[in-house]
Amino acid sequence: MSYFRDSFKKMVVVLLGAFGWVSIYPFMASARVGASLIELPAKPVSIPLAEWTVAVVDWLAINIEPFFDFIQLVLNVINDALLAAIQWIPIFVVKIAGLDIRFPVWSLILFFLLWYLSGELSTGLLGLITVWLSANFGLYIEMTETFALTLTAAFIAIALGIPSGILAGISETVNHMIRPVLDLMQTMPVFVYLIPAVIFFGMGAAPGAVATVIFAYPPSVRLTNLGIREVPTELVEAGQAFGCNYWQLLTKVQIPVARPSIMQGVNQSIMLALSMAVVAALIGAGGLGGEVVRGIQRMRVGQGFVAGLSVVFTAMILDRATANIGAREE
Amino acid sequence: MPSIEIEGVYKIFGEEPERAFDLISEGYGKDEVREETGLVIGVQDISFDIQNNELFVIMGLSGSGKSTLLRCVNRLVDPTRGKIVLHADGNDYDITSADKESLREIREKQVSMVFQNFALFPHRTVVNNVAFGLEIQGVDKKERTRKAKELIEVVGLEGFGDSYPSQLSGGMQQRVGLARGLATGADILLMDEPFSALDPLIKVQMQDELLDLMEEMERTILFVTHDLDEALKLGDRITIMEAGQMVQKGSPEEIIVNPKTEYVADFVENADPSDVLRAETVATKDLHLTDNNRIRMNEVTEIEVDSNNKAVQGYISGTPVPIKSLVDYENLTEDAILSSSPDTPLSTIMRARLSFSSNPIVVLKNNEVIGYVTEQNILQGLLEKGRQD
Ligand SMILES: Nc1ncnc2c1ncn2[C@@H]1O[C@H](COP(=O)(O)OP(=O)(O)OP(=O)(O)O)[C@@H](O)[C@H]1O
Ligand SMILES: [Mg+2]
Repeated sequence: MSYFRDSFKKMVVVLLGAFGWVSIYPFMASARVGASLIELPAKPVSIPLAEWTVAVVDWLAINIEPFFDFIQLVLNVINDALLAAIQWIPIFVVKIAGLDIRFPVWSLILFFLLWYLSGELSTGLLGLITVWLSANFGLYIEMTETFALTLTAAFIAIALGIPSGILAGISETVNHMIRPVLDLMQTMPVFVYLIPAVIFFGMGAAPGAVATVIFAYPPSVRLTNLGIREVPTELVEAGQAFGCNYWQLLTKVQIPVARPSIMQGVNQSIMLALSMAVVAALIGAGGLGGEVVRGIQRMRVGQGFVAGLSVVFTAMILDRATANIGAREE
Repeated sequence: MPSIEIEGVYKIFGEEPERAFDLISEGYGKDEVREETGLVIGVQDISFDIQNNELFVIMGLSGSGKSTLLRCVNRLVDPTRGKIVLHADGNDYDITSADKESLREIREKQVSMVFQNFALFPHRTVVNNVAFGLEIQGVDKKERTRKAKELIEVVGLEGFGDSYPSQLSGGMQQRVGLARGLATGADILLMDEPFSALDPLIKVQMQDELLDLMEEMERTILFVTHDLDEALKLGDRITIMEAGQMVQKGSPEEIIVNPKTEYVADFVENADPSDVLRAETVATKDLHLTDNNRIRMNEVTEIEVDSNNKAVQGYISGTPVPIKSLVDYENLTEDAILSSSPDTPLSTIMRARLSFSSNPIVVLKNNEVIGYVTEQNILQGLLEKGRQD
């Protein structure tokens, strides 16, 4: 099945990305330390952009702090509620052949949820196995943390992204305004997101979520915008010819026709959110990414591998759960 | 009573369209105007009325402005100048000066449309596509579903209500398009090359069904096509467009018999006139009475008439025979002379002659003899397309 191959490729990219960042992190850190030990001659700087940046960032940090606090609060509330809900679901422990085998009830819930969402039994089974494995790998908590962070960030990214995409789709002005912002967001290297996030939100889950939201936002906007713009003129005219007003045209013609494209954006946003949620371990977001980081820092290859495998499984179930939503009602 | 009145309508595409009018008034044509100003004349100075219940065909080559004219009627294209008034439900709607909301209401209730490439909503089932206009009208779900199902039956798609458009063939999709157009109950239906995308066989079938529908429902249809045979078959009247202008308007027969310009003559050159020419047009109308009040149609057949020129009795080789309408020649067992009405198409006469008798056919109007059709009349009609010169 080419679908499986495609999604498998995506997983590999996510995993490699995560490993890549996590593995160069210690070197980056030690390089910084090394640099401060060796006396380097000061480089002549005529345009002190770095200093100006610091000034702007400082000003923002002080003056817009309440705003950031608010964002942080919202993110934390959603994330923590989701996490608490998942972790509240009990895990049964059964002794089999002298081993404590764990059976998390959540794996069952996920089984039915994924089965329903994707319409495929195999996706449900994949979810069941993923959660069961992570629980028995000793990564249950981390797995749920990554899950909660990904979904929180993806939810906010999508909730902001689809309306922005619709606006951009129906208005040239909005489209022109939003395009450079998206380009900037997508061309910036991943770890650059983390710096301002740390400055404004400190370390922990909230800055991780902020960086993840920003990272996951563009695909929803772009694909919604594209979907709306690609609605055939004849369909828009058909809507008009039958007397649709602006709102009816949007909700009864443009958005439903653009739906497959919008759902593709949702899927991509979720996948990007997961990859960023793993990278965000670098700034203390925890979860599976944190396990990978620790595995590498302490040269525990096995630990890192198991955590990485869990990331791949998580990516797979998220992808398969959302990839089919668009196609299902066609 | 007119249903659509179009008065001096122009559509000029491009920035500052008013620039074109000076050139147009100096007699410049479409190509020259485009060279001088970069403006494209969509349609130029179109005026005509369409009657209630009429199927009016707009016909012309690609780019001649057919779609532009049609779209001016529901203002998917805004006319640059001119006035279009619709008469529906006993009210007048000046569509050219309507504001946004009244325009929307007119589109919702008075005029609907069928598109060339069907333009069905891919996310809606057949029922929900057909019910779309009713949904916009705010008809509740139960009622609009009932009505949609009714129309789905009318266009012969029962059993496909829950299918999606992508599951249907082209012909079936356009049936859905037609049902959707009819469902709103609008008096005026605009059809822009609705059958062009269909196979020839399906196309003919759809044309027949449209004609059947016209018999049953009271609708005014404005129908665009570039296919002359389709125009001749469907149209009560036809207008022919060339480079944005209307070059001729008339019944199918008038167009064939009397093309006004070279352009129209070229168009009708290869048309099959047998369905269009009427008995009256090709008949010999120069009648001479013999002493015993008979009209001689050829050496052996005669018709006896009374003092009002009404047909009384037919004779073949001096033997009296009845005069029977050729409509039911299939049921005739005895010898008879066939009669037709003035509007009977030539093709029908030819068919009757072929299978019943090759004797001339008498043309009756309220039983009054107005002429007769012989083999020579038929051949001449076909060869010269009824033109007398
Ligand atoms: N939106 C537009 N902008 C500019 N020019 C247009 C536009 N729409 C139509 N035209 C021009 O107006 C003229 C008439 O076009 P129209 O679409 O009415 O032709 P048509 O007779 O329907 O042709 P076809 O048989 O190909 O559909 C053409 O020269 C076309 O190029
Ligand atoms: Mg056209």
